[in-house]
This record gives sequence, structure tokens and C-alpha cells, in this order.
Amino acid sequence: MSPVIPLGPFHPALEEPYKVEVTTTGETITDAEITVGFNFRGIEWLAERKTYTQDIALLERVCGICSNVHTLMFCRAVEKIADLEVPARAKFIRVIVAEAERLHSHLLWAGVACNLIGFETLFMTCFSLREQVMDVLEGISGNRVNYAMNRPGGVNRDITDPASILDAVRTIADVTAKQLIPVMTTDRTVRARCSGVGILTREDAIAYGAVGPMARASGLATDIRKSAPYLVYDQLTFDVPVRSEGDVFARIVVRALEILESCKIIEQAIDMMPAGPIAGGLFLAVPAGEAAIRIEAPRGEVVYYMESNGTDMPARVRVRTPTFANMPTVRVMAIGQGLSDLGLIQASIDPCYSCNDR
Amino acid sequence: MDVDVLLSELNPGGTYELRRDGYWAVWPDLDVRAMATLMRAREVRLSTMTGTPGADGRLRLIYHWDVGAKMLNMETSVTAGHIPTISDVLPAADWVEREIRDYYGIEFDGRAATPPLMLREGDIPGLFSRTRDLGTQIDPAETARTNVASEGGETR
Repeated sequence: MSPVIPLGPFHPALEEPYKVEVTTTGETITDAEITVGFNFRGIEWLAERKTYTQDIALLERVCGICSNVHTLMFCRAVEKIADLEVPARAKFIRVIVAEAERLHSHLLWAGVACNLIGFETLFMTCFSLREQVMDVLEGISGNRVNYAMNRPGGVNRDITDPASILDAVRTIADVTAKQLIPVMTTDRTVRARCSGVGILTREDAIAYGAVGPMARASGLATDIRKSAPYLVYDQLTFDVPVRSEGDVFARIVVRALEILESCKIIEQAIDMMPAGPIAGGLFLAVPAGEAAIRIEAPRGEVVYYMESNGTDMPARVRVRTPTFANMPTVRVMAIGQGLSDLGLIQASIDPCYSCNDR
Repeated sequence: MDVDVLLSELNPGGTYELRRDGYWAVWPDLDVRAMATLMRAREVRLSTMTGTPGADGRLRLIYHWDVGAKMLNMETSVTAGHIPTISDVLPAADWVEREIRDYYGIEFDGRAATPPLMLREGDIPGLFSRTRDLGTQIDPAETARTNVASEGGETR
């Protein structure tokens, strides 16, 4: 009889609870069953019972890393339904904050990945760079987790010190290009630990609906910023890194290269950002209507559906986060792998169970 | 991906519109399994599904597809609380179907099993629909385990 090994829901090295039960033959995984929902907070349920203004604060708490994404999505959904115009400067500020958040997310993940692989020096390098991004976000918004930047029709705070942002971004790009990427792509330990591990084929990536760096590491050139540009992404020059191997190593490379692309985007956005207002006037009500929208968050596509019945509270707010799309792929990636690879495979999707469970 | 070709292949003569947020095809008699089979063959990714109560009391079910520059939203209505599953065709639908059952209590026919995703084993499916007319005084964690009707009466 094949033993079933339950892992979780509480893990010594991961703050968020989830459970995976793996069936094994010897040390090889033959099946895996994932249980989530331990962080279920009923945020969609609550959103139908709070005003639009209260919902902005509520949805910012979907995730502790990509919190800005969720206020951006909520405000963009309101703007679609209410036909609100966003000033040009506000669109550039939204891009700068969104890309800084992507840097923060990718550097955090890279640091954790290095730690898991056993590369403590690189872990410290990643977290030192991440600290600079956090300083940038704090400098812009006054906050380090929930930035409270977005409002329907614009942003709440202007960027008043672009030079300090440029300094930080150039340092991050320089260290990433000269230290992080060379080590992560050529080091024998990293390659030995990650190459050929946790493969997600291109076909499975489509069938399971994988998004973001997960999909791009499996050969899918998908990025909402390119395929369906929003804000001012169509005015900015950047590449979408894609790898075909579909393994943990490919995911590392894709995210590392995306750090450089985000730095490029921020530099351009600061250079091109026009003077002018950062928000429109206050609006009185959201008319009846509905909107389905999406953007490219650090972990991949986020989808929101919002329905308004013309009152001061939305009738429905649907939130689909990237981890919700990517997490089920762990099962197919784990089957056939060694038990000791499971932690690395799970970490390679950059999971956020708080996002997943909402 | 040519949305016009895709939709005409699925339902020749079926109407749809291009709104500011993408294509919308509202087809009450949508063959969801034929849709899923076609999308899989054309390598179209299922972004997610949304359940939302309709004005006629039936659940509106919206399948959101990534067809490139525009999102394709295909909407149908759930009749008598049942609709065929597409999770055997597209594994991407598995968790979403389980979550929609958690929230609205509808059954996706053809699944071997539909364990709860966000609720716990033993919780009553349909948390959102049972508590739709209740305000914030209701604790969703409590109502998950008791059959609180929308009128406010508790019927375990």
C-alpha cells in the first residue's frame, strides 16, 4: 500500500496555512491533493455589504504583497462602470507603483527561493534590494504594505521626489544584472537543484489556466500589459521574458529578467510622466452596470468582475487572484518528482494563500 | 484569436456585443461542454468563472476567456440549480466550480465529487445565496454551519 503523507496545514517555514497530502511510492510522489481555504475571510461576501469607499480599504487587504493591485482593480472597475476619466499623470503614477510592487514581489520571492535552495548570501542580496523598493514605496505613499494610492478617477498622492526613485531603481537593475542573474543562471548548485524539476508542460499550462511567470516559463508569451495594454503600458518599451523548459529553473530566470524589465518601465514612466492633476473630481454615485477587467499582477493575471445596482454598495465583487489559477498546477508538477522536491515546486509558483483564499 | 470565427463556430447566428470591457455573449441555452471542448482545441485559456444572482432569481454564470486583446465573457443561466461540469475538459474549471458551489449551492453535473473549496467539510453549500439579504450582523463563519434562510430564520 502506498503511504499518504499529510503536509500542513501549518508549516515551520511558511506563515500561511494550506495542506497537501502526497501519495508516494518509495520517495517518488504518485499523487497530490491540495486543500486550501484556511485563510477564507469572505472578502467577496463582505464587499457586497460595504460602500465603495469602504471596499477600497477592504480589498487592499486581499494580499499583503500585491495590495496595490487590488485597489487598482477595484477602482478601474468603478471607472469602467461610471465612465470616469483618469488624468494622464495619475496613470503614470499607477504604473510606477505597480512596477515597484512587482519588484518588491519578485525580489521577495527570489530571496525566499535562494533560502530554500540553501543560498544564504544571495538571499541577503535579494532582501537588501527589496528593502530599497520598500523605501521607494514608503517614500511615495507613506506606507510599506497597504499603500492607499488608488481612488476612483486617479491616485491619492503625487510623486514628488522622482530622483530618489531613479537612484533606487538603477541600483536594483545594476545589482540584478551583475550579481543576481549571473549567479542564479550559472551557479551549479542552483542549476542542479532546479533544472528539470517540477515541469509544467505548455499544454498543461493552458489546460490548467496557469498565468504570469508560471505560464511564461512554460513557453506561453502571455502578459496582459502587452496583449491588452491598460494605463500607459502601450507607450512604454519593455520585453516579456519567456522560457520553454517549464521547470523551476525557468521560473527563476523569467522572474529575474522581469526585475530588469520593471526597472526599465519605471525609468521610462518617470521620464515621460506629464505635469497635471492626479485625480478627477469627486463622483457622487456609481450607476447600474457591470464590468469584467484584468491586469498583470506580479504573480500573473488578476480578474475582477463588478456589478453595480446603482446604490452606494456594489451588488457583486468577484476576485480571481493569480495563485488561485496557478495553485492547482502543483499536482501535475509534483507527480513523478521526489518528495524532497515538493517544497521547491510549491515555492516556484510564488504562492500567496491569503490571495487564494480571500 | 478571431472571436467572430470562434463564436460563429460555436453558435452560428448567435448574437454578441463588443463592450468597453470585452466581448459579451449572453446565451441562456449555451452548451457549456461544447464551448469548453472548442476552447481547449483552440488553446483558449479559461481565466475564471463568475456566479452572480440574476434578476429572475436564477444564477447568472459567466465564463471569462482570455482571447488576447479582449476578454470574452460568455454568460448563461443556471436552470433548477444544475449545470454540466466542464472540469473534465478543462482542469482550470475544477476549483472555480467548487467555489461557486460553496457560494451559491448549484450542482455541476458530471463531476465525480465536488468537495468544498473555501468552506469546510460538512458546511452547507450556498453561503452567499442563503445570506444574500442579510446584513453585516451575520457572521459568515457561523452561517456556514447552520442553514440561515435569507428571511433571517434559522432552519438547521
